Amino acid sequence: MIELLKKLMLTHGVSGREDKIRELIRAQIEPYCDEITVDPVGNLIAHIKGEGKKIMLGAHMDEIGYFATHITEKGFIKVSPIGGINYLSGAFSSVVSENGVYGVLAPTKTDELPKADSVYIDIGAKSKRQAENKVKVGDFFVHTPSVKRLLGTRYVGRPFDDRVGCLVLIEAIKEIKNPKNDLYFVFTVQEEVGCKGARPATYTVEPDIAIALDVTRTDDKIGSDTLNVKIGDGPTIKIKDASVICSHELVVKMREIAKANNIKYQDEMLSRGGTDTSSMQIARRGTRAGAISIPCGFIHTNNEMIDINDVRGAIKLVKALVREL
Amino acid sequence: MKKLLKKLCLAFGPTGLEHRVESLIEGEILKSMPSDAEIIRDNLGGIYLHIKNEGAPKLMLNAHMDEVGFMVTTVAENGQIKFGSVGGINPLILGAKRVIFENGVRGVILSKPIHLLSHEEREKCPKISDMLVDIGARSKEEALSLVSIGDYFTFDSDFVEMGGSQIKAKALDDRHGCCAMLSTIASLAKNNARSKYDLYFAFTTREEIGFSSAGCATEIIKPDYAIVIESKAVLDLPEISEDRCVGRLGDGALISYADGGAIMDRALTDELISVCKENNIKYQINRAVSGGNDSAPIQIGAHGTRVALISAPSRYIHSGACVVDYCDLEEICKALYAFVTRG
Repeated sequence: MIELLKKLMLTHGVSGREDKIRELIRAQIEPYCDEITVDPVGNLIAHIKGEGKKIMLGAHMDEIGYFATHITEKGFIKVSPIGGINYLSGAFSSVVSENGVYGVLAPTKTDELPKADSVYIDIGAKSKRQAENKVKVGDFFVHTPSVKRLLGTRYVGRPFDDRVGCLVLIEAIKEIKNPKNDLYFVFTVQEEVGCKGARPATYTVEPDIAIALDVTRTDDKIGSDTLNVKIGDGPTIKIKDASVICSHELVVKMREIAKANNIKYQDEMLSRGGTDTSSMQIARRGTRAGAISIPCGFIHTNNEMIDINDVRGAIKLVKALVREL
Repeated sequence: MKKLLKKLCLAFGPTGLEHRVESLIEGEILKSMPSDAEIIRDNLGGIYLHIKNEGAPKLMLNAHMDEVGFMVTTVAENGQIKFGSVGGINPLILGAKRVIFENGVRGVILSKPIHLLSHEEREKCPKISDMLVDIGARSKEEALSLVSIGDYFTFDSDFVEMGGSQIKAKALDDRHGCCAMLSTIASLAKNNARSKYDLYFAFTTREEIGFSSAGCATEIIKPDYAIVIESKAVLDLPEISEDRCVGRLGDGALISYADGGAIMDRALTDELISVCKENNIKYQINRAVSGGNDSAPIQIGAHGTRVALISAPSRYIHSGACVVDYCDLEEICKALYAFVTRG
């Protein structure tokens, strides 16, 4: 599982450019699914047939990054953010383009907090012409991915948001055999720029129940605002975030199933941030929607932190839910 | 086409009251629609032309008919009118501007002359909620005999050609897109050309307030592909650096890989660019992730749509004096025609 996590983390997939990560996930799950399709916006939709309720589980494939808007005479690349960038973490750190060109995100001023319009990417070019050989206006960059083990069961790197959700679904898919319920697993695009992919995916699948897998903020780290969520205390069952109030009926049911299966979970009430759950809830005629989150420290920085035991807990919870919902 | 653009820009059609623009567009469509084509209407005032090619992939071209405007909220005892904006309008551009109501009543937005401004007032940005329109009425009764609460008004602005090829008018956002679609429909008829797509031209409403009927069009048509033709605000002014100018007037059709509302489909965008290259059509790539438009609701409507965006770079939009370069509009028309008729 750790090897797969590393592969998922190190594969490029900025919002709107999810081709490579989609192919990796597809190859992993293809042997276990009855049918796999890619919809017009690039969502990967996998079906494992069953007779019961139509349950959809989703995780987003995309990650935050940058969009090259202009190349200066000196060969520096000006960028616009794709998704919620933390410039404090981003400044002076390594970036890589969708075509594998490395660079450093450098602020133009060092005496103030960097902002979107005061950073550029230095790819080591000596001139505009040299830079243009490697990068075009319209190319996408991400912060260079990494994953390292810390003490015990903790890992640090990027982008755990939301490759760790993808990992949970892939591992669950591999272990589910002849399900009672009719299961759809969707790996969505463009969550980081406004939960875009989940809406058409839900429209196409028309599920009775939809559950998103994503990361959530924790309050055992500086500056966090989640109610009592801690890394390592188990996956969370989301009650609300800034974008959605989850189906109460579904939240209650999810808790009952977690308790009955001795799966340790935490309640999540997030005052900021949003997930695909919001788009799933309002697609087509409306869907009973909820979410399971992996507690994650320092979200949207180059050093997101998780505990692998929370991932194992989430896999157990997903398997129990598709069996007992 | 310039005459048609003029008619479209001068038509009264703020968000939610697009019927005059719609009738004008319907008249133009009827002049050149093929006999087996169909006109479809939605419940929000949108009008679509369907040029049939059964079984072929569905391509929807989209432009919105509405323009930014204003609505009367209350009338003061002295006959002056309080109002709100319909769509995003910068209050700084409003003082002493001419406005016109649907029934032809004209007015001027109040503005203190500089002689009477205090030092503090000169430093302050006015608020629309503090502004008034003067329609020449001397009492509340007289004003209410001419206009009613809830009435719309828009900028009262002439269609002016300036410089070599630039045009100044109100509502170029997005009547230039409507004009490009009508021109494509006319060219298809004139050349008796067929498309490999099942082709829809969707003229939609309500873009300027964000709850656009382009979402309805997507649900009704369920297109595989969509190309949105929409204004893109640019800042190609002398002191603005290349990386912040978005695009430049006269440098051709502005094609976006992404904007503030959506990341476009790369394959479709690349195809549009290669069509431009093959046909020597002048184009430029958008240099900023800014602004949003109907590409966003179209992309996530129904089963999801592969979407691309093409624009005339536009100065001073959401004012009475939008400026575009007519040559850029011609390049858009060529690009659309080449795209829909290619083999």
